[in-house]
Amino acid sequence: MLWGAQIVGVVLAIGLAPFFMGVAQTVKARRQGRHGPSVWQGYWVLAKTWRKETTVPEYSSWVFRLAPSMSLAALLLTVLLIPWSGTVPSAWPHDLLAVFFLLAFERFWVGLAGMDSAGTFGGLGASRIATLGTGIEPAMLAAFGVLWVLSRQTAIQPLAPALMRQSLGIIPWGLAVLSYAFVLLAETGRLPVDNPDTHLELTMMHEATVLEYNGRFLAQSQLAIAVKLTAILGLGWIWLGPQLATPWANLGLRLVELLVSSVALGWLESRSTKLRYFQLSTYLTMAAGIGILAFYLVSSGGLN
Amino acid sequence: MFILWLLASGFFIALMAPKRFLSLSFTLALSLLLLVFAIWGLWAGNSSFLTGPYLALTPLRAWFMLVLGVVATMSSWYRFGYHQHDETTTAFWLPIFLVSMVGVLTAQTVWIFMTAWEMMSITSFFLVVVHHNRPGVVKAGYIYLVMSQLSALAILSGLLLMAATVHSMNFSVWATTARDLPWNIKSWIFALLGLGFAIKSGIIPFHVWLPRAHPVAPAPVSSLMSGAMIKLGVFGVLQFLLFDLGPTSILWPIVLLTLGAVSSLLGVLYALMEHDLKRLLAYHSIENIGIIFLGLGVMALGVDWHQPNLMTLGLVASLFHTLNHAIFKSQLFLAAGAVEQHTGTLDAEHLGGLIRTMPGVAVGFLVGSMAISALPPFNGFLSEWLTFRGLLSLASRSTGLWALFGLGMALVLALTGALAGMCFVKASGVIFLGQPRKPLPHQAIPHSMTWPILSLAVLCLALGVAPAPMVHIIASLMPGMNAQAAVLLLPLKASLLALVLGTLAVVVAVLSRVWDAREVPRWNCGRTVDASMQFSSASFTKAVRTTLAVIYRPHRQLTRTGPQSQDFPEHLIYHGGTTPTWERYVYRPGYRLAWAISRYSTRIQAGSVRLYLTYLLATIGLILLFLH
Repeated sequence: MLWGAQIVGVVLAIGLAPFFMGVAQTVKARRQGRHGPSVWQGYWVLAKTWRKETTVPEYSSWVFRLAPSMSLAALLLTVLLIPWSGTVPSAWPHDLLAVFFLLAFERFWVGLAGMDSAGTFGGLGASRIATLGTGIEPAMLAAFGVLWVLSRQTAIQPLAPALMRQSLGIIPWGLAVLSYAFVLLAETGRLPVDNPDTHLELTMMHEATVLEYNGRFLAQSQLAIAVKLTAILGLGWIWLGPQLATPWANLGLRLVELLVSSVALGWLESRSTKLRYFQLSTYLTMAAGIGILAFYLVSSGGLN
Repeated sequence: MFILWLLASGFFIALMAPKRFLSLSFTLALSLLLLVFAIWGLWAGNSSFLTGPYLALTPLRAWFMLVLGVVATMSSWYRFGYHQHDETTTAFWLPIFLVSMVGVLTAQTVWIFMTAWEMMSITSFFLVVVHHNRPGVVKAGYIYLVMSQLSALAILSGLLLMAATVHSMNFSVWATTARDLPWNIKSWIFALLGLGFAIKSGIIPFHVWLPRAHPVAPAPVSSLMSGAMIKLGVFGVLQFLLFDLGPTSILWPIVLLTLGAVSSLLGVLYALMEHDLKRLLAYHSIENIGIIFLGLGVMALGVDWHQPNLMTLGLVASLFHTLNHAIFKSQLFLAAGAVEQHTGTLDAEHLGGLIRTMPGVAVGFLVGSMAISALPPFNGFLSEWLTFRGLLSLASRSTGLWALFGLGMALVLALTGALAGMCFVKASGVIFLGQPRKPLPHQAIPHSMTWPILSLAVLCLALGVAPAPMVHIIASLMPGMNAQAAVLLLPLKASLLALVLGTLAVVVAVLSRVWDAREVPRWNCGRTVDASMQFSSASFTKAVRTTLAVIYRPHRQLTRTGPQSQDFPEHLIYHGGTTPTWERYVYRPGYRLAWAISRYSTRIQAGSVRLYLTYLLATIGLILLFLH
């Protein structure tokens, strides 16, 4: 049953990723007074770009061609590592640090692709993505600070979140949620860190690195972004959200949670503006600080 | 006996220096012999075949011998294709340098250890200043020599202090008796030896020699120095301070951890601002030594607190990273040498697009970049993962400030890892990818230079996919430890992870038909694009430089030229850079002080014989007066 639930969870997380993106877009459009595209638009866009002719810029090498596959593979593996139903079979790797390193892997290849496109925007995007990454990685480690204290290991799953919430106390739990939410927005490239809808060169981050991509390669990059969003949202719910008794019920709950968080994301994005690039270090330091505070409250035994 | 032959053969090979091919072949043979010797030592384990009162090979030493053997073999192989100025000098000193490192690793008494140590310092000095006619090389070599002598001085005092209190010069006696020394003596020994080995490893703030000496040496020498020599400092800390001394004051693990954290973070931050590939790599050596020291600190805490789990974790993390760093750093240095031979420059701002003219080296450099940035499925990922686990278990097993300290160290390591990733996106991107920034003449690279780099890349991958045997070997280096070795890598399942990642990447790449794409011009808002519009090494890191201005203290100067330069400049000349903080605020005052003292001392010591005779008479008079 564990195997089945985990496999179905992985398939759903990857398969429904464009749908959750679509939900966020639709909510955002409605909030802005537009009708907006259908929630299934992501699939049409993927299918259309996949069928188009694929070109690569001059002076680029095999690195540019291979980079979307590398990024997508790393993110697919990230989805595999997350225990979607709350528990995984013991033979399944489920290490949290590995997730960090895989995200770094994805960032590395996106950066290389940007540098290999031999234009101005690719380098610009690569530089911004990498700079942002230097803030995200420590902040993410700090956001998980509470988990290190309570689980005493780097695995994601052995700690039932319900139990964890009890032993956490509402204040450290709230701080952990806040810190994780900050990091989530930065890692998935949403507002207020990066605008996923922008096509203005001066403000682009992730969009700049994929500017030269089209056809199948662009489709891969788009799928990668969607999968990343689902993976990181799901990871947050798994360790901070509620937990049900059976794996299948948990899986159903997770889908509901993902839907709720997509709606919340769309709502949040329609209410916030993009931060200045040079303020992002402050933003991420704040995220890390909140995480460290939660960690300290728990490890020193205060505010239980 | 065998080891004596090994040592003698070094001098023998040195004499063959004028015969190029013969000398290269024998150096390679010697390196291979070292490798065999190391594997034999590890195989024999604690019942080692080489034990004696003067020279001995323990499993720990065999591990470092393995590190040395791997790097030496690949560098010697690489030298067949590497062309440099005044090759005979390198061919003469290199074998002696190798055997002196063997001497350091097998020495069993203070005298042999110090003799070998000094030989190592001096031969490496001669190897650094091979290109002494280039500007700045002799100065770099001189700084290196001074720092080496300071290090040797500290180590000698520490070793003599230990010998005097234990009443033995023999290291095998120390292993059993040093644990019972009084704590204040232990602290003194820790301070002296720690200082000496930290200087030799290039730990910040004792690092000033490293980014100067490593880049000016020929590439095989840089790779040996970065890959093997600075690791002997790690060996010293492990052997004398952690294995022999045992539990010490809790201050010392904190010192080790702090030094490690400072070195790793500042090392990578300085590396990020470098545009010279070899200097960039040299700063990364500092960073990686810092990461190794973080592992050592975790182990030291385990020793102090009598927690075998923490001890094993720290030991495995630091020793595994020692081997891994030796592999990927020598690989990167060799690739840098190939870039230099290929284009004649190492300045990233002039390079670009080398992946088309030297594809093999580019693959090697990319793999090395991924390994040093701790990305799966390569070896650096596993050793950094283990270091993270050590620091996080420190954070989770203790309370209050200790826990905060552990988490802080882990955060520093995470920041270091991210910055290293950024730095290597920059290095590979600017140098190997994109369009060449300047038209440079290209000289073909022989296969004997490409293959060692690629072999090291294969090693990186092999250790990343199947780390379990290595982890098992390291955990058995210290008696009574191998019990927990098997569970160290859980729940990661590194091999499975690497296989799945590789399969996924291949499947996705095949599905998207990566080979089937047409080449079209680049998009730059409709304008024509040229190479200067690409991001350069300086512009790539601009945001970090601005954000961390407090560390870098950047300065820039814009000069306008032409008759109406203020309003219509014909050319803009940009000079920018960062301030070398340690050199300017720590070393320069010390240097000035030394000069001031020597200037004052010329008043009484002016070189006149009559004056000295007067001193002599006065001294004798004084002695007579007091002895009377």
